[in-house]
Amino acid sequence: METVIEVKGLVKEYGKLRAVDNIDLEVKAGEVYSILGPNGAGKTTSVEIMECLRIKTSGEVRILGYDIDKEQREIRKRIGVLPQSFNAFEYLTVKENIDYFGDLFDRRLGADELIEAVQLQEKRNVWFMNLSGGLKQRVGVAISMVNDPELIFLDEPTTELDPKARREVWEVIRDLKSKNKTVILTTHYMEEAEILSDRVAIMDDGRFIAMGTPREIIDRHGSGSTCVVKAANDAALQAVKGAGMDSENKDGDLWVRLENKGSLARLVNLLSAGEVSYDEMLIKGSTLEDVFLKLTGKKLAEAEA
Amino acid sequence: MRFKHVLVDLKGQAKSFFRVKSNLFWTLAFPLFLILVFGAIFSNMGSGTVILNVQNLDGGPGSTLFLQSLDETGAIELRFIDPQADLEQHIKDNSLAHVMVLPPNFSEAFVPNSTATAQVELRLDETVSTSSIVRNIVNAVVNNYNLAMSDGREYLELEVGSIIQKRFTFLDFFVPGVVGLTVMTTCVFSMQGTISRFRAAGIFRKLATTPMTPFEWLLSRMIWFLFISFLTLAVVLVFGILVFGMSMTLNAPALLMVIAASAMFSALGMIIARFVKNEETANMASNAIIFPMMFLSGTFFELEMMPGYMQDIASVLPLTYVSQGLRDAMVFNNLDGAYLNLLVVAVIAVIFVAVAVLVTKWEED
Repeated sequence: METVIEVKGLVKEYGKLRAVDNIDLEVKAGEVYSILGPNGAGKTTSVEIMECLRIKTSGEVRILGYDIDKEQREIRKRIGVLPQSFNAFEYLTVKENIDYFGDLFDRRLGADELIEAVQLQEKRNVWFMNLSGGLKQRVGVAISMVNDPELIFLDEPTTELDPKARREVWEVIRDLKSKNKTVILTTHYMEEAEILSDRVAIMDDGRFIAMGTPREIIDRHGSGSTCVVKAANDAALQAVKGAGMDSENKDGDLWVRLENKGSLARLVNLLSAGEVSYDEMLIKGSTLEDVFLKLTGKKLAEAEA
Repeated sequence: MRFKHVLVDLKGQAKSFFRVKSNLFWTLAFPLFLILVFGAIFSNMGSGTVILNVQNLDGGPGSTLFLQSLDETGAIELRFIDPQADLEQHIKDNSLAHVMVLPPNFSEAFVPNSTATAQVELRLDETVSTSSIVRNIVNAVVNNYNLAMSDGREYLELEVGSIIQKRFTFLDFFVPGVVGLTVMTTCVFSMQGTISRFRAAGIFRKLATTPMTPFEWLLSRMIWFLFISFLTLAVVLVFGILVFGMSMTLNAPALLMVIAASAMFSALGMIIARFVKNEETANMASNAIIFPMMFLSGTFFELEMMPGYMQDIASVLPLTYVSQGLRDAMVFNNLDGAYLNLLVVAVIAVIFVAVAVLVTKWEED
């Protein structure tokens, strides 16, 4: 499979602050590749270097085979970008905004074709300022596709969107993948990265701390499954502790780590004793959130704070 | 550079501009509003010291005494014109509003037992609000002399004439200043506001990913603000002539001045926005630059009415040269003065545009 992004030893420094610290990355054609991490991790700086928006301090970057230092013009023609906190011209309609950006390129797709791709037919003639956040992001995705790019960068496309709007944007991203576009998605939503991505790089303090498919990362760095025993009483707690199982009491729920295949059967057996009572049992697999917690010692929300 | 990119941005800018009603108000209706309101206020105002330019062709003790009396009123500041100077040319070149000529035989009227009568020639621009003050003060001094020396006849005669050949209204003089003022406010505020807003909204980040260059974008915006400046000029002229009955000339130096002023002030807006990155602070910086210029550059007040140090400040403000140049071109038909002011504005414009082009870039590194 063709390599569309090749990054070696990329460093970006602002004075004494090293925002991007010697990262390597290789993205293949047709992949949805997520760069995941809290705010300030270095995601946006990294992709903005790849988008020709920032100048790197050192390292090598090739986009679609073009050198980022020498061939920015060629790169700009061939990539699509939805910048973070995207905005377009407030007093132009959806179609006019798409046409504005489209007319700047020699090769472009028709506005109506793009409006249909992001399902904005009903908003075609509505001023950009009158659209909701989710619809604005869909316009942004349409504009990022206006030059029919081989590679699309979507920088935090669902930040500050409500769950419904977020899912609408997910659909558009899935559609891009179905069209065999390569998508670089930066996000701090673990669930989003897990659902949409072929591969993920988790970033913290300017470095990639884990890379691979979501499954590979979870298998490699996750802590296995956990059984959540809802509203467990003291007898349940004592029984599990007494059996030496790794457990934790969280707000009245008992979280028991399932260390091997026999752990669940053993737990069920323990909770069958007469005095034990609880509402229900849930099995929870490891997530990228758990991986982030394990690798950095902090929760994603803490890291953002 | 590709002009196609400039046209794309011009088209988008034109659509956006005309969809915002407040834009139409500030660029088209506001100048008319200013003309009506400030014209009404300032056409009847008069206070403080008034400058009276004197050409003393006599030089004798009588004229010296008479001028001393005028000076002692405290209401008039005397400025002297070289007796050898061509008065008509001097008035035109310096756009003077009040001139007094004391003839060569003036002192003869003061000689004891003389039967001679001296004439005080006062030439006033009656469209300037302070003319009536000058006339009244000079008249009062003349009357005092006649009374003091009274033996039944008048020693001094006051003859009042007009400096200008054509009859103008106060608005004729005020309007070029308003055109300059509107070009300044439209270009500086709009350019700075657009850049600050686009930066905050991330639109520059998006444009940076397209083949359009910052220079193409700047060129498009400057062409747009030039168009708006001409639109303002046209509206003011058409309404001024048809509705207010003004008499003004639209000639080459006036048009060139609008082009140079538009480029200069657009570039100033770009420079402010580039160096003051916070949107609110940039707005405040624009206000801090615009408002002093508005009031110190002779748009509302005559420069001659201001204290000397204020006139020194005015002499370094670009709007002073824009207003004066437009007035020279459109009202006084003083083409030498108009081209001299145009030269000053053009030089500043070239410097500002060069700085703006150098400092404006998409990347925010």
